[in-house]
Amino acid sequence: MSQQTLKITRPTKMELIRLRRRLAIARRLHKILKDRLVILSQELISLIKEAISVREELHRKLCECQELAMRGYLTYPISATESYISRRISVKSLIVGSRIYAGVKLPFYEVDVGEKVPISYFDAPLSIEQSIRCYEEALKLITRLAEIEESIKLVGNEVSRTKRRANALEHFLIPRILNTIKYLRAKFEERERENKARMKKIKEILEARASYVTQL
Amino acid sequence: MSLNFNFDDYLEKYLTYELRIVNRYLPMKRKKLRELLIEEHPHVVCSDGSIHMFRKDELNTLLKYVSDEELNNLALPIILELRVDMDVTTALVREKYAVSVISKILGIERTNNELYLYPPHLSELRRKVGTLIQYFISTSEIRG
Repeated sequence: MSQQTLKITRPTKMELIRLRRRLAIARRLHKILKDRLVILSQELISLIKEAISVREELHRKLCECQELAMRGYLTYPISATESYISRRISVKSLIVGSRIYAGVKLPFYEVDVGEKVPISYFDAPLSIEQSIRCYEEALKLITRLAEIEESIKLVGNEVSRTKRRANALEHFLIPRILNTIKYLRAKFEERERENKARMKKIKEILEARASYVTQL
Repeated sequence: MSLNFNFDDYLEKYLTYELRIVNRYLPMKRKKLRELLIEEHPHVVCSDGSIHMFRKDELNTLLKYVSDEELNNLALPIILELRVDMDVTTALVREKYAVSVISKILGIERTNNELYLYPPHLSELRRKVGTLIQYFISTSEIRG
């Protein structure tokens, strides 16, 4: 715990009242930061778990897609496959936005697959068609993973920033205010003791003077 | 040894800054669930001008828990008020329809028109309807 005190111009009662008010504000601020930290940490842990599961799923999916594509290339002539793929390619758009979580602006990505191009299944190489669908799903997973990993970075930064500030309040500012309050109280007590001693002394002097006057 | 900075100013500025960070993303105007379901890209505009988007899957998930009356009246995002005066992190839901829907999502019984949520509840809510909730820190409580 820090043993330092804050700089105060004059040790007065007014200063003590102000310090007490500051202490209340600092404690409340510390509570806000702690609450934010709890919420952000929850978000960070959930995001990390989600990232791991999505990444595993994506790896599985990509292997599956590759296998299907290879099967298609082996079964059909390259020219037929390429012409089919060129007809099958549909326009996809990526919706880029943001979502807010506990004061942190996180990315929001969503793939809009759009309308499917109508196909005749008689001339469609089945494994190629399957691999295209598989890659569409993989694309959604990739987008989701990008969103999660970017969010992890942002939430992680915010967690470290909030933690640093909460620690600064807990170990630096609040102890200093407490020390200063303690110092002021000691100062007032000392002043009171001095006053008492002075009053006693004055009383003694006055009594001595009074007895001297009566003797005369 | 003493410090050479104006502590009062620093603390006041810092407090204001922290509250601004957390509360600046609150929506300027909330939208009803029915309205959002029709939108192509469901979103609300926040008070700092940024956009908060809702996930369509989550809106559809919410549909399972709402009645017709709630569908027309539930305003999104649901505002969870963080209570600074409590020891444990606690969020309070005050709105009638939000209380009803959240208690259904979490499977908890509600006793009155307010609902207190604790970290495990918040975590579950985040998992199920993460984009449909927003946190709010009341400034009056802090300055009080």
